[in-house]
Amino acid sequence: MENLYKPFKVKIAKVEKHSNDVKLFRLEKNLSFNPGQFILVSHFGYGEAPFGIASSPYQDSYIDIVVRRVGTLTKALHKLEPGDEIFMRGPYGNGFPLDFISGKDIVMVTGGCGIPPIAALIEYIIANKDKFGRVYLIYGAKTPNDLLMKDNFKRWGKDIKILLTVDEPDKNWKGYKGMVSELVDEIKIDAKDAVSVMCGPGPMMDVLEKILRPLGIPDRRIFVNMERKMQCGIGKCQHCVTGDKYVCEDGPVFNFDEVDKNWD
Amino acid sequence: MQKPKISIYDFTDCEGCQIKLIALKEKFLILGKRVDIVNWRLGQENNESGPFDISIIEGAPITQYEIDLLKKLRKESKVLIGLGSCATLGGIPGIIDKAQRKKWYKKIYGDNYRPRGVDALPLSAYVKVDFLIHGCPINENEVIQAMEDLLAGKEPKYCDYSVCFECKQANNPCRLLDNFPCLGPIIQGGCNAICISGGSPCYGCFGLREDAEKKNLIKILEKITDQKEIDRYFSMFLNKVNK
Amino acid sequence: MDLIIEKKQIKDWLAELKKENVVIDSKKDALPIKQYFFPPKQEIFIFNKETKELESPDYKKEIIIICHHLGQLEAMTQLDEIMGKPNPDFFYWQRREKSILIGLIDESVEVAPGGDLVLEKINSKQYRVLILTEKGKKIIKNKFFKEIDKPEIKNYLSEENPFKEMLLDSELLADAVKWSKNHKIWDKLAKKCLGCGICTYVCPLCHCFSIDDRVVLDDKECIRCRQWDACTLPNFAKIAGGHNFHKTIKERYYNWFYHKFVRAYKEYGKAQCVACGNCKRNCPAGINIGDVLKEIVEDYKKHGKSI
Repeated sequence: MENLYKPFKVKIAKVEKHSNDVKLFRLEKNLSFNPGQFILVSHFGYGEAPFGIASSPYQDSYIDIVVRRVGTLTKALHKLEPGDEIFMRGPYGNGFPLDFISGKDIVMVTGGCGIPPIAALIEYIIANKDKFGRVYLIYGAKTPNDLLMKDNFKRWGKDIKILLTVDEPDKNWKGYKGMVSELVDEIKIDAKDAVSVMCGPGPMMDVLEKILRPLGIPDRRIFVNMERKMQCGIGKCQHCVTGDKYVCEDGPVFNFDEVDKNWD
Repeated sequence: MQKPKISIYDFTDCEGCQIKLIALKEKFLILGKRVDIVNWRLGQENNESGPFDISIIEGAPITQYEIDLLKKLRKESKVLIGLGSCATLGGIPGIIDKAQRKKWYKKIYGDNYRPRGVDALPLSAYVKVDFLIHGCPINENEVIQAMEDLLAGKEPKYCDYSVCFECKQANNPCRLLDNFPCLGPIIQGGCNAICISGGSPCYGCFGLREDAEKKNLIKILEKITDQKEIDRYFSMFLNKVNK
Repeated sequence: MDLIIEKKQIKDWLAELKKENVVIDSKKDALPIKQYFFPPKQEIFIFNKETKELESPDYKKEIIIICHHLGQLEAMTQLDEIMGKPNPDFFYWQRREKSILIGLIDESVEVAPGGDLVLEKINSKQYRVLILTEKGKKIIKNKFFKEIDKPEIKNYLSEENPFKEMLLDSELLADAVKWSKNHKIWDKLAKKCLGCGICTYVCPLCHCFSIDDRVVLDDKECIRCRQWDACTLPNFAKIAGGHNFHKTIKERYYNWFYHKFVRAYKEYGKAQCVACGNCKRNCPAGINIGDVLKEIVEDYKKHGKSI
């Protein structure tokens, strides 16, 4: 019987510092996955945790994960260097509904370290740009320094419109401040045929009330990439439940309509 | 890599938890290979002064000298660990109350005695303590786990289940269901339910666990026994932390 | 023809089995028999820091378990399903496949709900053998068992269990528990429940766990351990950084019910409960899960559909 808990070894190809407490790790692995899926990363002795894949699904020599230093595992990962080996298993979860969203206008909303799965989706959209309508990314963070994957903005900006917003701007800041209604004015979509894709953390309800409702995108066309505590990744351990669903197996991407009806 | 420098100090207590360190036997020798114990009054003759990477402190400070030493150790130590219930909770020395103490001073030492002691409080009443290894006495596995974590650069973690998990594994009948008082459900596990297995109640020497439903337990205890007895249970180890 | 073993011979048969096998009688166990396949604490991986290789501890021990409750046997059938498809739990099956489960039941058995072999009491002196699997068949090919034509069969009724009746309509239970989210009973229970986790430990079907890593003291190995968790404990849904998705005992206790009666129904078409009563018998706070469900279902029938 296959041991689904057993991770495999993978080498770290590159480490990039993205902010004070965030690093991107490039792992040498050809992995076929859907944007929105995640992997479970192990650093033996320090634990295992889920990370959304941030690189392009078309990239066949590596995958990227973005790691905020917040607990035991992530602190230990931050000490690793290129050439070091860690373990991983996956990909897990459903990923974004690529068929459903293709042909439509898309508004992506995310905050801080919620960017990785959105980044993978952006890469997919750019590689298939003929299949999509107008595409927007609203990306918020606490301070300009907390915006991650900044090196990609210029390249992404050629094909999608990026709206950056921070809660605490510095004096060089040229973007927006907070989730403000002016953001809505920048977005020109056909609300009847648009979808939205969100990924936490951050005040999702704020985004919903201030951006998505005014834009007229209904709940059933909003997709949320959710975060929960996770141990097994295969629907056994019960940690990641939200109402009737397991984030690891049924998610992490849920239709907002569905999430709304769950009790937590 | 240089081995971390460890100091082991003791304030007022029975020194039993330090004996438990020695009782680690082979594991203590392994630990000895990974750290330098540079100061340990009970265990060795040659002792260095600080700074230390880790200071492990047993006992409750009950004199000004001990309190000052504790504050000095805090300044000199990167990590400060409380060892055993006297250090982590105030423990047994914390049972006594002021009025009682006055009475017994007089009775034992006479009218002219000038006491030096202050009320026994946990270390955390005076300084920031990084991790508490509870127990009267401590459990060997908890020390090993805390040392493993510290040596691996991890923050030691508290056991988040109650005594009941290990009590059920030990196949004990539930005291509360048999109408005997027990604090097990609201107390942090890790002790292997050793007292209950030996026929004694849990008096909570591992401290309250996170989110302990104390009020709910008291309602049950009130059906089993009287208020005086409940107070006695909560004052055995939790007298100084249970406010 | 019925296959029979004399009551007084069971001891001798077990003694014979013990010569070649590890035989465990679960009669006095505080924990349900799931513990033999899904141990409370279990090392699942060992990473050697020098060779950088990962190993999973081998498990070779074959065990025979004697179980005295039909509910536990039924629970094992359900747990096999939970730990089976679609993602088999390797560590569970590693032990489960090497085990033989014998039910020794002092009541009449209508349908054997699980196990490899069930010995059913038919009169004060004899037990009838019900063979459920090939594994079970193997251990009765000996002198202790004999074929008898028309043995005396008495009816040994099980204790009346209204809770068991309720489980028959698991759809109603699912609807009622889902509906009950804002029911006052959860506030009431939050003032009663100790959050100790005993109900989940003694439940033959609860199977949640957490996984933890250690760097061993000698720094040569890292050990990954899994152990039973309990969804009533405060850290169950807390993520690194501190956010807790189930902050209060009320939410956590409701989640326990929600899993057993709502989520399980959606996943497997039945409640994850066999009405064995372990949770009720072992709850130090005296919470009777059957009564809680009864209250919820009655209120749901009265008010539910209109709200």
